[in-house]
Amino acid sequence: MKTIQFLLLSVLVILTGTIQVSAQMSGKEIMEAVYHNPTGDDVQGQLEMRLINKQGNTRVRELQRYIKTENNVEKTIMFFLNPADVRNTSFMNWSYSDGRDDDQWIYLPALKRIKRISSDSKSDYFMGSDFTYDDMGDRHPDDDKHTLVKEEVLEGQNCYVVESVSKDPSYMYSKTITWVMKDNYLGLKREFYDEDGRLLKILRIKDFKKISGYWVILHTEMHNIQKDHRTEIIFSEILINKGIPASKFTERSMTMGK
Amino acid sequence: MKKQITEKQLRVYAWEFILLVLIISGWFVSEIYQNSRMETNLDKYMPQDHPAFIYSDMAEEWFNIRDGILIAIEHPDGIYNSGTLDKIREITLALQEIPGIEANDITSLYTADNIVGTEDGLDVKAFYKRTPQSRDKLDELQRLVRTNDMVQGRIVSQDETVSLIVASIADSIFSMEFYNQILDFANGYKGPENIYVAGRPIVEGTMAFLGPKDMKTMVPLVIVVIIVVLYIALRSIRQTVATLSVVLLSTIWAFGLMAALNIPIYAVSIMIPVMLIAIGVAYGIHLYNNMQLYAGKNPDAGLKELIWDMFRKMWKPVFMSAFTTIVGFLSLLTSDVYPIKYFGLFTAFGVLMAFVFSLFFIPAFEFAMPGRYKGTGKNKERSQKKTERFAQKFADAVLKHKAFVISTTIVLLIVAVIGIQKVWINSSFLENFERNSEIVRTDAFVNTHFGGTSTINVVLESEENGSMIRPEVEKLMVQMQADAETLAVVGNSHSITNFIRRMNQVMHSDDKAFDVIPDDQELIAQYLLLYEMSGDPDNLWKTVDYDYRKANIVVQIKSDNSKDLKQVIEILEKYRQPFDELNVQMNYAGSGYKALVFTDLILKGQIKSLLMSVVIIILLLALMFRKLSLGFIGSIPIVLTATLSFGLMGLLNIPLSTTTALVSSIAVGIGVDYAVHFIERYRVNALRTGSKAQTVIETMHQSGRAISFNAFVVIMGFMVLLFSAFPPNRSLGALVSLNMFFSFIATVTIMYLVIYRSNIYFKKKQK
Repeated sequence: MKTIQFLLLSVLVILTGTIQVSAQMSGKEIMEAVYHNPTGDDVQGQLEMRLINKQGNTRVRELQRYIKTENNVEKTIMFFLNPADVRNTSFMNWSYSDGRDDDQWIYLPALKRIKRISSDSKSDYFMGSDFTYDDMGDRHPDDDKHTLVKEEVLEGQNCYVVESVSKDPSYMYSKTITWVMKDNYLGLKREFYDEDGRLLKILRIKDFKKISGYWVILHTEMHNIQKDHRTEIIFSEILINKGIPASKFTERSMTMGK
Repeated sequence: MKKQITEKQLRVYAWEFILLVLIISGWFVSEIYQNSRMETNLDKYMPQDHPAFIYSDMAEEWFNIRDGILIAIEHPDGIYNSGTLDKIREITLALQEIPGIEANDITSLYTADNIVGTEDGLDVKAFYKRTPQSRDKLDELQRLVRTNDMVQGRIVSQDETVSLIVASIADSIFSMEFYNQILDFANGYKGPENIYVAGRPIVEGTMAFLGPKDMKTMVPLVIVVIIVVLYIALRSIRQTVATLSVVLLSTIWAFGLMAALNIPIYAVSIMIPVMLIAIGVAYGIHLYNNMQLYAGKNPDAGLKELIWDMFRKMWKPVFMSAFTTIVGFLSLLTSDVYPIKYFGLFTAFGVLMAFVFSLFFIPAFEFAMPGRYKGTGKNKERSQKKTERFAQKFADAVLKHKAFVISTTIVLLIVAVIGIQKVWINSSFLENFERNSEIVRTDAFVNTHFGGTSTINVVLESEENGSMIRPEVEKLMVQMQADAETLAVVGNSHSITNFIRRMNQVMHSDDKAFDVIPDDQELIAQYLLLYEMSGDPDNLWKTVDYDYRKANIVVQIKSDNSKDLKQVIEILEKYRQPFDELNVQMNYAGSGYKALVFTDLILKGQIKSLLMSVVIIILLLALMFRKLSLGFIGSIPIVLTATLSFGLMGLLNIPLSTTTALVSSIAVGIGVDYAVHFIERYRVNALRTGSKAQTVIETMHQSGRAISFNAFVVIMGFMVLLFSAFPPNRSLGALVSLNMFFSFIATVTIMYLVIYRSNIYFKKKQK
């Protein structure tokens, strides 16, 4: 019994020690830890997107999504399930880590043709939501200068509060402030400030869970304060590392439905 | 009792009374200073619970329909140069910083979306982010705009010399300071480009501001002229002062009560002093007329006797005319429009006070003033004899030429009735300004280059999600838009169909043959999805709602004239039935439409209350004179005045507007006054003399004199308004003068003739 107590005690000491050590982590280290949070080689699942405007009108879209990272290219393919008139419309995005613009395709079943979408920049909003393409993906920590502002408890979670300012002065946000959970290095909340330094949007993670050993976000909300428009995304039926074949991420696959 | 009071005591009482009135007036003045405010928010004028307004407000919320301030930037050599494009960009960015302007809702070449086809897809791009510098890039931009119907002719003029920047503002934001701020701001960008600022909020705001401002300078002039003319008529400074005090005090009390009750001053409230001047002056004149005549006949009468005679003889007709006038104005309470209700209520209160002050303030004033009414000198006696002779001649002439009087009246009535059919209602704000004024020229400039500064929003609604993207519905929308655009006054129209057609075209290698609505609803839905994925869809949500259950079609019109707006609505109405067959309901929204409904409401209310008050007045007169026939006879001046003045408006092509319609209240207020005084005097003289000839001469002399004085004074006073800088105030002046003139003439000619022929009060003796 004594040995067990001793062991527990030493575990506690070690844990407190690590917490103290991590408390001294720099803003950059924290954001790198967030960036390198393991996500699995491939993820699939359903995604429900709710767009809510100022008057409280809601539009709901349901999509089936597949993500796989291969040779430093993050490939995403999505198939619309609902509403009915856009069913089987599919969207594919290849995101490159070397700074190249994303490649995007859309397949419109009514036109039976695949079209390429060339987005002017990453500041475009994704499908009329409050997320830009940039908000959806992971931004590389080297792109910003990070400062640990403080630590605080948010919604019962111990968090680091990190302020990030882009090294590129023409970036669409003047700064972002992120609340990172100490337990799992998931962002819990992020504030986006516009070019004039005014609060533009607030991202909140409303539900998250460990699935197959990976932390997964289940419910997230982006609120555009200035327009009072909100987007909620709810993920379900998530499967990780099921070995999605590379052929899923091709133009041919786009035309075949989920 | 009364006889025992000495003049000295009376003087003390008089001073006490005057002091009391002045103290209360002082309090009202301070209330006016502290609490009075102009209501410039035009939405506050509209009945908020009227279905058309409730619906429009809802639709404005659904589609973010806002009035826009238009800034047009013109470069004579064309806008495609770096300097002008830079300015468009700078103005756009700077506007976003101005409080009150919706930063997300500024349309310009800089913010516009360019939907283009790419080699293998579709893209929604900005026309430029950084201002193009090289000739090549400028030419490329020019080409892009030329090939985009959604921009060419809408944001850039067809001749490419003007570009438009439209900034939406919240309804309540507009003020004169705001306008000046925008003007200063825009003018800062002048040279070599010309800058024009236009838009409905500016026209509305300027009008709500200019009318009362012009009145502030004109009313004192009117009063000065009235003082002069009053003096000429009454030949006495103290009588002039007393008569005018009655008018001013009643106006102060009316506005003071309004301020004390925290009721704002509306644009139509400027009609209150107009009414009170026209009506209030009459009471004083009638009283003094009596006093002068009595003094003329009794040169030795003391002040007490003069006042007593005046009070005794005049309280009844003054009461009767005031009472009927008050009831006439109170009939305006049936209006749906609050500013009109308030106008009726406070004018009625003002008339009540004018009545009270005439009967009590004037005697008090006479007692309180040092010196005394000198009776009539030799000159005055002679002039009275002269007027008596004139009255006799006039009365004889009317009788002698009765055929002429009657036939003229009938001819005038027929002409007026023809004219009335030509009366048209105009809710145009713009036509209230001078034709060469800055505001009109700017508006005309923008209208010649772009779709139009006025808009009507057609709102379509269905129970079913997705209805608005059904090809049948969309095609009908296209047809309706094309049909409306055949009208010369319709410059443009814009709806979801413009997006769909543009996308269908660019997705088919920019082939014009595909500038149509596709037959497949799924394709439409997928285009819209594509559009959303490619750009900022906010522009889309101004034309459809989230569920595609509602749609908003914006029809741009180059005029805010009611005739033109109604012409457009007439065409749009043809589509109500076809849309209905597709289970789609059609409604209208937007400020242009609201103004149209609003004016209709005011006018219908005004005409309704006019008819109602005529009926009430006939009954009241019949009751007061205890003869039904006298009710009808007494209403002759009112009916004639109203008919002639409306008829004249039709013939002279003066449109009915909120102010011109209210002038008809004068017909009631003044017409009834004249009739009451004349009939009452006729009755008294008839009973006293028993001789018809004598009655006629005396009535014509006593009452006719006062009536002509009153008409003369008010007509001269209001003629001053003909020199106003603000056209609506000019027509106001003309119409008030005409109304006074008609009332006067109708009373002393046709009404006199009818009463004479009717043998009322002489029945027993005649046969």
